[in-house]
Amino acid sequence: MTRFSIEWAAFVTATRKELLQQARTKRLLIVVAVFVLFGLTSPLLAKFTPELLSSIPGAEQFADLIPEPSIADAMTQYIKNLTQFGFILAVLLGMGAVAGEKERGTAAMILSKPLPRWAFLLSKFVAQVAVYVLALGIAALGAYYYTFILFGPVDVGSFVLLNLLLLLWLLTFVAVTLLGSVLGKSTSAAAGIGLGGAVLLLLAGSLPKVGSLAPGGLVTWASQLGAGIDPVDPHGGAVAMALAIILLSLTGALAVFETQEV
Amino acid sequence: MDVDILMRYLPLLIPIALIQFALMVAALLDLRKQPATRGPKWAWVLVIVFINFIGPLLYFVLGREE
Repeated sequence: MTRFSIEWAAFVTATRKELLQQARTKRLLIVVAVFVLFGLTSPLLAKFTPELLSSIPGAEQFADLIPEPSIADAMTQYIKNLTQFGFILAVLLGMGAVAGEKERGTAAMILSKPLPRWAFLLSKFVAQVAVYVLALGIAALGAYYYTFILFGPVDVGSFVLLNLLLLLWLLTFVAVTLLGSVLGKSTSAAAGIGLGGAVLLLLAGSLPKVGSLAPGGLVTWASQLGAGIDPVDPHGGAVAMALAIILLSLTGALAVFETQEV
Repeated sequence: MDVDILMRYLPLLIPIALIQFALMVAALLDLRKQPATRGPKWAWVLVIVFINFIGPLLYFVLGREE
């Protein structure tokens, strides 16, 4: 066997272990539950906000001011909820990935076996990707179905693209948090670094000119798709930038991790 | 809100109630297995049972000693 195929086999084993870990620590359950919950309640809330308002004594007159809710409102709710809570989950659940194992000393134990460090890191990233793909997939199906029942047919092409953009947004923060988790000595330090990096990325969105390249550009594009604006103004630059941030975070994390004493 | 509307859309609300229930049960089962938690166990039981959705999630994210 070549060296690569040995390392690859180790990576596959490590990824399987990480996936099991995601299920056993209930992270899988948490992410799926939160995403599906917002997938289902976003169209419901969009539909019934005027009804709810009109049932509150004294607020009836405001109900008339709200225009008849539409698919665009359902999509706006969906994007807003998933990006906000997805961001929090990505940082909260990802911060301990490497730092937690360093703290508990399990990283040293695992790495003393012939597990290459790239496989250790990448398996953690891939397992989280799998969790978010699964959760977002189920949430999207639910949101599609509820929107269809409450409002009518949604354009499938835009909805799929919209969800891919949300996924890329989430994975950007997963990657940045993983980098933070490698840089930090403890889980709380990792949380600080990961959160700091993520907030910087969010703030970068308000810079003039280059702002639209920040991950927020992905959400802007997704919102336009959700609102059914035609023609949409595609933020290809934000997609390229998000992919670059993910790649840089992963290679940066590996470069630091290779030289780290665990 | 009209009872009619509520009844018409009830099937859409059932899955949401089921998710909440599943989360609550999962959190309680997990709590029973844990040798120790951050803060007293009985307090977590109250949080999990009485705060919808957020309660079980808070427990999973903050309550468990890793």
